[in-house]
Amino acid sequence: MSRVVTIFLSCVIAMAVIGFFIGIGAGVPKPDGINESSLVDLRSTDSAVVDSKLVPALSYADIASTLMGPTKAWQATPQNLPQPEFDLYTKVEPSEAEKEASSKLRASRRAYNGAPPIIPHPVENTNDAACYACHSGGVKLAGLKASVMSHEYLANCVQCHAPMAPAPFQSIDATVESTFVGLPAPKEGKRAYKGAPPTIPHSRWMRENCNACHGGPHGWAGMESTHPWRTNCVQCHAPSATLDQMPESEVVPMLPPLDVVTAKVGAGTPQ
Amino acid sequence: MIANDSYDKSFVEKHCNFRGAEADTPTLQGEAISEEEFRKRIAKYTPEHVEELSGVPAEKSRMLGELFGNHDIRITSLWCMGMNQHTMGTAINSLVHGVHLLSGHFGRPGDAPTSLTGQPSACGTVREVGTLAHALPGGRVVAKPEHREQCEEFWNLRPGSISDLPGYHTVKMFEQFTKPTAEGGDITTLFVQVTNPGQTLPNLNALFNDKKGLEDKFLIVSDVYPTATTQLADLILPAALWVEKNGMFGNSERRTQQWFKMVDPPGEARDDCWMTIAIAHKLFEMGHEGMQDKNGEFIFAIKDSDGREIPIWQFEHYYDTNVDKHLFEEYRLFSTMKHKNLAPYDEYVTARGLRWPVVQQDDGSWRETRYRFSEFDDPFVTKGQEFEFYHSSSNDGRAQIWFHEYAPPPEVPDDDYPMWLCTGRVLEHWHTGTLTRRLSPLNRAMPTAYIEMNSEDAKAANIRQGEKVVIESRRGTCELPVWIDGRGRPPRGTVFVPFFDETKLINNCTLEAHDPFSKQPDFKKCAVRVVKKSEGKVPS
Repeated sequence: MSRVVTIFLSCVIAMAVIGFFIGIGAGVPKPDGINESSLVDLRSTDSAVVDSKLVPALSYADIASTLMGPTKAWQATPQNLPQPEFDLYTKVEPSEAEKEASSKLRASRRAYNGAPPIIPHPVENTNDAACYACHSGGVKLAGLKASVMSHEYLANCVQCHAPMAPAPFQSIDATVESTFVGLPAPKEGKRAYKGAPPTIPHSRWMRENCNACHGGPHGWAGMESTHPWRTNCVQCHAPSATLDQMPESEVVPMLPPLDVVTAKVGAGTPQ
Repeated sequence: MIANDSYDKSFVEKHCNFRGAEADTPTLQGEAISEEEFRKRIAKYTPEHVEELSGVPAEKSRMLGELFGNHDIRITSLWCMGMNQHTMGTAINSLVHGVHLLSGHFGRPGDAPTSLTGQPSACGTVREVGTLAHALPGGRVVAKPEHREQCEEFWNLRPGSISDLPGYHTVKMFEQFTKPTAEGGDITTLFVQVTNPGQTLPNLNALFNDKKGLEDKFLIVSDVYPTATTQLADLILPAALWVEKNGMFGNSERRTQQWFKMVDPPGEARDDCWMTIAIAHKLFEMGHEGMQDKNGEFIFAIKDSDGREIPIWQFEHYYDTNVDKHLFEEYRLFSTMKHKNLAPYDEYVTARGLRWPVVQQDDGSWRETRYRFSEFDDPFVTKGQEFEFYHSSSNDGRAQIWFHEYAPPPEVPDDDYPMWLCTGRVLEHWHTGTLTRRLSPLNRAMPTAYIEMNSEDAKAANIRQGEKVVIESRRGTCELPVWIDGRGRPPRGTVFVPFFDETKLINNCTLEAHDPFSKQPDFKKCAVRVVKKSEGKVPS
């Protein structure tokens, strides 16, 4: 019995030693080392067979080297991710603490208020369509929320939104010490009188879609509107006079004065 | 296009000349050649021959030829430093313009070539204002006596006070500064403003680092943050950022823009312009002749409405008046000779930038020019000409279609240094990163310089993703982490390294060989080798 144990243990030790030397040898590239598949479009795999509904059987040996992706049949049908139901009339009552936490998270993703937020997830920056897939209309998935773009007319997303570090450099500490404090995020607009709709306390340039933050299913927690069913926001909430600067004009565009026929002065009518 | 007979004959006949470099000593102007001569010289550069020289597939050259031969489409060619930073940079630029001229793809909206070099304020305050060593404002050069005379008149200087001898260009200037005085290094004091040569010069070991330990060399650096250049500075002057001072700049679009100071600079930081005036006034007080006009007054003297001089060299009085406005109104005088007319300062205050030539209209308003040299928009084009390249180097309103012979690169990979090195920028960081590396979101997005390699090259050298390697050239070394098949996916045999990271100075390796005319160093190609850290030398 003890002999069997000895033979077994010596085999284990021998394998460990061999494994150790292979491991420290420079000859074994890390799987991550030369990763050619990272940018390969899964749909371009030619392993799909002619009958789009058939998936070819593989031997176990081939599984590791085979790219697996959606079948042709699945690719051919446009897919919508199932989205949770959104009730427009759910009462929105965030507590002050929730609002605070939410605005802290928001601030942590910007260099200063008004700066473009960073991209808080990995991207493979191959084209802008990839951003639009989730961010043009917003998506909720697995507890995560893709916010809605409020300036779809501006493509080339990473020109302003800084992505995460490239994969090989993500462990580098890139913290920057800075004493810079930008302007705080505005909390609320001005009201003409108690009960009046507040003005918009930020500029509207690139934020034309109010629902991107303030309502709908993908708004920012703590910033949601209490009445998202009213969709024409600027009908009641006036844009900021100081932040929404239009080119100055000496002539305020107005309709021409009405051409009202008036009786002649001095013809006996009271003035 | 010539072989297909698809070039724009009428455009070439009406608006172009042919030009080639002189055989003995080539100059920027070159010499006129006939169309016959042009055809003869270019004949040997068939797409196949070009493929042999450059590796660009012949079919791609043919495809471009067919594209340019089609006059129904419009073609805009845009490029950055990838074309300019070569020993043949000027030649490449004139050849690309030549392709556009030959094909008539010029002067219609959307149909022109443009080099995207107009970072504020490379165009406005370098080329237009004439801060280069051989230049004077408004397209003038020190070599021409009439140009010197005009400047002396505008500036009220003694006749003959402007030297006809051009100063040193940048590479030569740093050579002379870092060379000991005893060995002929005749520059002893250097004042660096708004640039970071300690990081951006090529071959830093030869052109910058040698300053260390030279007692009689004095380096003054004005900057907003500590930089690679301030490391060797003998005097650091804290500078105000652009929002902390009044300013004016011009971009390559020809647009001149004005802004007012928005916040006060912190601590003792001051406007660069004030520093220049303060130093000039100190020299004036010390009796330096160059700081006096012909009446013996200070050259930057500004007087108030009562004729009393405002002491703008004292910072507390600098903003008593708008110094920019005084300087700009004086500079405007220079702009009309080459028909790059500028509007009065106050026009730029209300406009959102104006593109020169800005010409006053009959109603007193000022009109900018969107399309230069095209009759439909440029008021200086003779009526009926359609296009007129006024002030062209041949003085006949015609543009030059250049021919240049192929010239081999100054350094080519060999057995010792088998790889091509190309350097450049990344999206996240502006140039040397003095500002952008101090911003968390940007620094996190691109936390380090890297060496980008082709996966086959990495495999052959047994180099892994993220591994630190040493890149070596004949001039220096640099240690960098590897990014295999990164953004640029470099072809086999080439590596790319960005230059923004002051902790990993790739310009220790680059080559100081430069273009004979633009003086741009060849940052885009030199020979290097990449070795695993365990096998490499200790980086300098």
